[in-house]
Parts: sequence; structure tokens; C-alpha cells
Amino acid sequence: MSVDTEGSEVPTRPPVRERLASPAGKLVVGVGVVVVVMSALLLAFGIWWPNASLPTTASDTEDAVKSTILVFSIAAAPVMALVWGIGYYSLRHWRHGSGDEPPEDGPPLRGSNRIAVGWVVVSSVLTAFLLVWGLSELTSTTTLAAGAKPLVVNVTGQQWLWTFSYPEDGGFSSPDLTLPKDRPVVFQVSSLDVIHSFWLPEMGIKVDANPSVTTTVSTTPTLLGTFQVRCAELCGLNHSYMETTVKVLDGPAFDAWVTAHGGKPDVTAAGGTSNG
Amino acid sequence: MAETTAVRPAPAPTSSGGGIMRRLNLGTGLLAGVVLAAVAWFVGSAVWAGNDKATDQAVIAAEIGWVLGFLIGIGAFVAPIRWMLGKDPSHEDEMFLAGKDQGVGRYFRFTTDHKVVGVQYLVLAMTTFGVGGLLAMMIRTELAAPGERIFGGEVYNSLVGVHGIIMIVSTIIMVVGPWGNFVMPIMIGARDMAFPRLNALSFWTLFPAVPVFLSIAALRGIPTGWVAYAPLSDQAPPGMDAFAVAIILFVISSGIGAVNLIVTALTMRARGMTWNRTPIFVVGVVATSLLGLIALPCFEVAMVYELLDRSMEASFYVPDQGGSQWLYANLFWLMGHPEVYVILIPGTAAVLEMAPVFARKPLFGARLAVIGIIALVALSVLVWAHHMFVSGWAPTLAGPFMLTTELISIPTGLIFLVLIGTIWRGNIWTRLPMLFIYGFLWNFMIGGVTGIFLSDVPADNELHGALFVTAHFHYTLLGGAMIGAMGALVYWFSKMTGRMFDEKVGKVSFYVVMIGFNVTFLAMFYNGLAGMPRRVADYQPQYEIGNQISTLGAYTIGIGMLLFLYAIVHSWRHGTPSGPNPWHAKTLEWFVPSPPPLENFEVLPVVTGDPYGYGEVDTHHTTHAGAISGPAGHEGADS
Repeated sequence: MSVDTEGSEVPTRPPVRERLASPAGKLVVGVGVVVVVMSALLLAFGIWWPNASLPTTASDTEDAVKSTILVFSIAAAPVMALVWGIGYYSLRHWRHGSGDEPPEDGPPLRGSNRIAVGWVVVSSVLTAFLLVWGLSELTSTTTLAAGAKPLVVNVTGQQWLWTFSYPEDGGFSSPDLTLPKDRPVVFQVSSLDVIHSFWLPEMGIKVDANPSVTTTVSTTPTLLGTFQVRCAELCGLNHSYMETTVKVLDGPAFDAWVTAHGGKPDVTAAGGTSNG
Repeated sequence: MAETTAVRPAPAPTSSGGGIMRRLNLGTGLLAGVVLAAVAWFVGSAVWAGNDKATDQAVIAAEIGWVLGFLIGIGAFVAPIRWMLGKDPSHEDEMFLAGKDQGVGRYFRFTTDHKVVGVQYLVLAMTTFGVGGLLAMMIRTELAAPGERIFGGEVYNSLVGVHGIIMIVSTIIMVVGPWGNFVMPIMIGARDMAFPRLNALSFWTLFPAVPVFLSIAALRGIPTGWVAYAPLSDQAPPGMDAFAVAIILFVISSGIGAVNLIVTALTMRARGMTWNRTPIFVVGVVATSLLGLIALPCFEVAMVYELLDRSMEASFYVPDQGGSQWLYANLFWLMGHPEVYVILIPGTAAVLEMAPVFARKPLFGARLAVIGIIALVALSVLVWAHHMFVSGWAPTLAGPFMLTTELISIPTGLIFLVLIGTIWRGNIWTRLPMLFIYGFLWNFMIGGVTGIFLSDVPADNELHGALFVTAHFHYTLLGGAMIGAMGALVYWFSKMTGRMFDEKVGKVSFYVVMIGFNVTFLAMFYNGLAGMPRRVADYQPQYEIGNQISTLGAYTIGIGMLLFLYAIVHSWRHGTPSGPNPWHAKTLEWFVPSPPPLENFEVLPVVTGDPYGYGEVDTHHTTHAGAISGPAGHEGADS
């Protein structure tokens, strides 16, 4: 007869204390301790690591990205700890060396419906949670914030530079990107030759620049400063250098920048650009 | 029979049979290939002279000429032609084809014995791994410091592309090629594959693809990455033509092999081997072959279109002439995502096959493993668009593809359950394959979890195209599948060679590879999160430390792999004789001598139980133990 991992709890359940003291109970406690310790370590790592490495948060989208990565790290830690913990515990307690002859056969555990069903249920619930989380973040990051009229920027990629034009602010173009803080911006992205990918790492947005097609992506900058604009799709010889900067200014400074470049600040957005 | 051999004028001094095949081998194949390539080149150049696509056309003609010439020269078409002429090969001819009494020479011929094909695949895969690994070292050397210091953009982009595709091909063949061919037929109690000649054809179609791949270097590379996205690929030098021809060859080869493996496993299992009693590795090989058969032809179609675009301006992928870059991307990823499971499933199945042997316990929830593998196959054809989340194509499909992608974690979880359930409370025998099982458990967990981050669309918008993705798939394909494959090599090495793998050197190489691997790709995760893009030769200074760590790690992997290679070569030549069943395992391949004789079994085995009855007195995989021929050993696996 096979002995189940979680003890022989058949007809009458002995009290918890007794069950924990049984051989099977001790196993569960032993591996439980390993899993809990490992979970804690992984959790600490999972919280520290993305924070330490992800770029500065310069938009509401990047904020959503960071909280997603954090939540996923927290969800992943106990799962990893469970699998690794069981592997580690087995190796530590039932190791029989590497001699020429194999050890005795172990107990013939062929499986357990209870464990299988439990495993599938837990992993399904986790998956459902991640999916719901992801869908809600997807909706929030693709929906424009209400209120201010969004700034429209046409982004054109070509080998190996970017051009930005502001169709509703006089239609001028610029080789680097300037945005007002706290005003939603819609990028209409296209390419003159091959596929490029328009990426603002600090703002957590990316969309391919395709020839003959316009794709859109939107965000709201939330931090003043200068950040990167990158091409994220291999586009030929100088792909490594297809980068420029995005400067985030407050409303009046942005309007001044537009005027200085021969554009006309979009008056219908007045109030929108300076609602910082 | 004798009448066909009698009318043939060819003198056959030492033995009868074989006919013209006696004169054909790798050498005649190379010769005929080079001749036909040269003819095709000159004819092509003359016919298309003046055309602005003339170079591409001539290159394509030459590459196709090479392949046809090679196959003719090695004798791939001899038997079909004889059948057409009504001169069926005799039994002696068949035995000659199977490599009877030919010593080492049979590895350089169109030999049909599945064990010869298995060895050929192993050596080929190791060679291509060597080339791909060397390219990886070159990439990491360039990235050791900022600045395009060594190669420059054009060469660097080609290095990345060739490294990618050669590793993809190597990892696809690394388990199914050697062990699907060598071990699987014995495992199911068969004397050979269902279609031995197709088996040889499968290998000898892949072989000429290697020089075609290598010709990419002479044809100014593929500066497009291995994905070869259109329309960038339209700008690429003629190396892209070689790339496309090589891919087409590879898909044909793998298709032939896949059909053969499926039919063999479906129809040639020993008497009594129901699916419940079939080893999990066989299930894995069948599932993989089926998936490859569905997925890989998409790549072939994509490459045929590419060649037509490049040589005849067909404009399948040229947007302003009615084509679409998304046509390419969809075809590519319709292949590309199932393909990662084509790589992963055999390595995983090998790990599941080995786990009971080294835990001395039955496979835990064997049925769950089968369900998990089938679910992976089914789901993996429904997730390709997650590679296109940021492409701008069909943003409304982001939600559904996020769903299918995240669902994959459930069957993957089942595989983990089966693995740790098998290890749990086992009597762990820490021989080298067991270390690789643990390596798989560690790496593949990280690969799987980071995949869940990428399945989430907002997170993917940040991480796509960054080194995070590179690190993720290296953790699954190299850390998971390839570590599993290395374990499989150690495990079945004695069956192939009759000698034990050198576990001392092997263990050192295991630790060196594992440490180097984790150092390399954890640092790459860090840089990826920090925003360093993939496929760049130069980068900003803030990524320098991470890159230096990655480069050091990569060199460490290189050293570990050289040690592993040394262990293989040394053990193959000087290893201690292993006897038929050094692991005291219960699957059928351990009931025949090592290496197994031609046609494997004198008497075909009868199967009476599943092969995982460790600790069970009354489960016997086969009643066949006594029928073994060859050296006496402890063939009674049921200890």
C-alpha cells in the first residue's frame, strides 16, 4: 500500500498535534519550513530586484508596469519556493550518494488525485488572478485620462533616426521629443523604411513603427526631466545608435518651446497644458 | 532476392548486395554537390545577367544545385529509382544499406540503421552547437565594453542572427535527433524505424543545409537577427538567400523525420505496450514531432515567399506594393512559438524519463505528465501573437492572447508537479543525470516564471525587445531544454557507445556550466529590466557592469562546455565498459547489449507493465529479460 505524503488521515482524524507528530506530519512540517523560508527570501529578492533595476518612473504607464512586475514577483515567490523547496528537501534528506549500484527502491507513490486536483486548482486560480490583473492594467494603460485634450505627436522612424512632428501645434518637426508634464499624449507612429520600434523606457511604452501603417500608443508623462527614446527592433547597421531624448517640461515651458520652434501652441488645449 | 543482384554487372568481391550504393558515400555526395552547384551558378549567372536581382537568383540556383547534387551523389534516390524501374532492392541490398559489416564507414553513407542515424545526429548537433557557441562568445566579447570595438554594426548584426538560427536548429534536433532516433525504437521494442530510408533521408537532407548555413558568412551575412523581419530582410545581402534555402531544407528534413517518428511510435510498439505502458519519453517524442509537423512548415512558406520577393520582386512583404510585413511576422511566429515547445518538450520528457531511475520511484502521476504534454502542444499553437503585442497588429487581440499565454502555465505546472512528485521521498541517486535534473528544475523554474511577466501586455510593452526577453528564453531553451538534453546524453551515452560517461569531469563541467549560465543570464535580466535593448552592438555606460558580468559568465559556460566535450570524447574512446544496464533501469533499451546489435532484438519483447515499477514487486515492464543476446550482464533490471 502506498503512504500518502500528507499522512494517513483515513476514517477518524486524530487531533492536529498528533498528526503533526506522526512521521508524515513531520515531513510536512519539515518541508513547510523550507518552503516558508525560501518564500521569504524570494519575496525579498522579488521586491528589491525590479526596484533596483527598472528605470525611473516618468509616466502613469510606467507606474502600472512597475506595480504589475511587483505583483507578479510576489505571486511567483511562493510557487518557486514550493517547487525548489521540495527539490532541496528531497536532496537533503533522501540522498543516497553516487555509488555504482543504485540505492534501494523508494516507496511506490504513483500519484494522488487529491494533490493533482489541488495543484491544478491553485495554479488555475493564480492564473486567473494574473489574467484579471493584466486585463485591468491593460485597460487602464490604453485608456486616455479624461479631461485635458491630448497632445498628438506624429513619430516617424527611418534608418536610423526619429522625427517628431506636432500636427495640432503648427505642424513643425523636431529630431528630439519634448512633452508637457501631466497632459496625455497620443503618439501616431509610422516608418519610412523598415520596422522600427518606438520605445520610451522610462515611460513604459513601446509600439512598432511600421511602413505604410500608423500605430498608436499613449501615456501621460508625470515627471520633469530628460529621458531616453530608443529603437527596440533591429533595423540595420546603426540600430545601436537609433536613440534620442525626450524632455518633459511643465505646461508654460512646453508652450514656449513650441513657439521657439516656429509652432503655435494649440489654443484649444489651453489650461490643459498648464494644469500641473 | 538473388535474381536482381545476379543481373547486375558490378563485381561484388567481399559480399553481395548494395549495388551502386557500394560506390556512393559522403565523398561522392560532396563532389556531385559542388559540381552541380558550380553548373547552376554559371547557368544562373548567364541566364539572368543584367537583371538587378541576378546575384540573388544565381545564389539561389547554386544552393539548390548543391543540395540536389549532394543528395544524388550520396545515393538518396537510388532505391526509389530502382523501384520505379522494377528492380526492387534485395535483402542483401537492404542489409548493406543498414550498414551491415561496414565499421565506421557506415556513418559516412546513406545508412538506414536508426542507430547510425542517431549517432550522426548527435555529432551534427554537437558540431552546430560548437559553431553557435563560438558565435555567442564573439557576441559577448563585443559586448564586454561599450563602443563598437571589434565587429561593427553589420557584422555584429549577422553574428546575432546566425547565432540565433544555428542554436534554434541545434536545440530542435539535440534530443529528438540523437535519442528519438537511437533510443526510441528500442524503447518501444522495434527493430528499426517504420521508414528506415526516410530516416537516412531526413539526416542527409539536413547535412547539406550546414554548408548552406555557413555560406551565409561568405555572402555578407544576415544582418537581420534570426527572425529576419521583412522588409529589413529585403535589404539584406545574398546571405539572406542562403538563410532561406537552409531553413527550407531544415523544415523538409524535420518533416520527414517527424512523420517517421510518429508512425514508428504509433504502429511499431511491442506487443502489450499500451499507451499506459509506453515510456514518457516516447510520448514526448511523438508530441514534439506532431507539433513540429504543424508549426515548421509555416517557416518554410515564409521563406519561399521571401525568396520570391528577393529574386523576382513578388512583394509578398512589401507594404507599398500590396504586401504586408505582418504577413511575414504572423507566418514566422506561427512557427516560432510552437517551435519553442518543439525544443522544450523532448528535453522535458527526457528529464521525466530519467527522474524515476535516479529517484528509484515510479513516475508520479504519469497520466498528468501525458496530459500536460498534450495540453502544451495544443496551447502552444494558440499563443503566437504574444510575440506581436507591440507590433501594432490587432491590438484588440491582446487580451485573448494574454489569456492563452497565461493558460500555458497550468500544463507547465503539471510537469513540475510530476517531476517533484517523483523526486519526493525517492532514494536520490546523485549520479550525473540526476544533477542535470536538478539543474533543469532550477533553470526552467526561472525561465517559466519570467515568461509569465512577459505574457502580461503592459509589462511586455516595457520588456519586449529588451534583454529581459533574451535572458528569459535562454533560461527556458538553454537552461531548461539543453540542460535536460545534456542529462539525456549522459544517461544514454553508455547505450550508444557501450562505455560509461566520465562522471568526474562531467560533474565539474555541470557545475561550471550551471554557474556560468546563471551568472550570464541573471545579469542579462538585470540589464533588460534596466532598459537595455536586444541586438545592439553598443550601449550606454550604465549597462557596462551587467554586460561585463554576462561576458564573464558566458566565458565560464564556454569552459564548462569544453570540459563536457572532453568528457564525451574521452569517455567514447576510453570509458569503462558499461554492460547493458548500468542504471538498473526498466525501459526496453536497457535489455539489449550496449551498443545494440543491428536490428536490436533477436526475439521481439512482450510488454506486461509500465517501465516505472520501482518498489513494486508485481510490476514488470517485460518478460523478455532472458532473451537478451550479447555479453552477460545484469540485464535483469528488476533488482
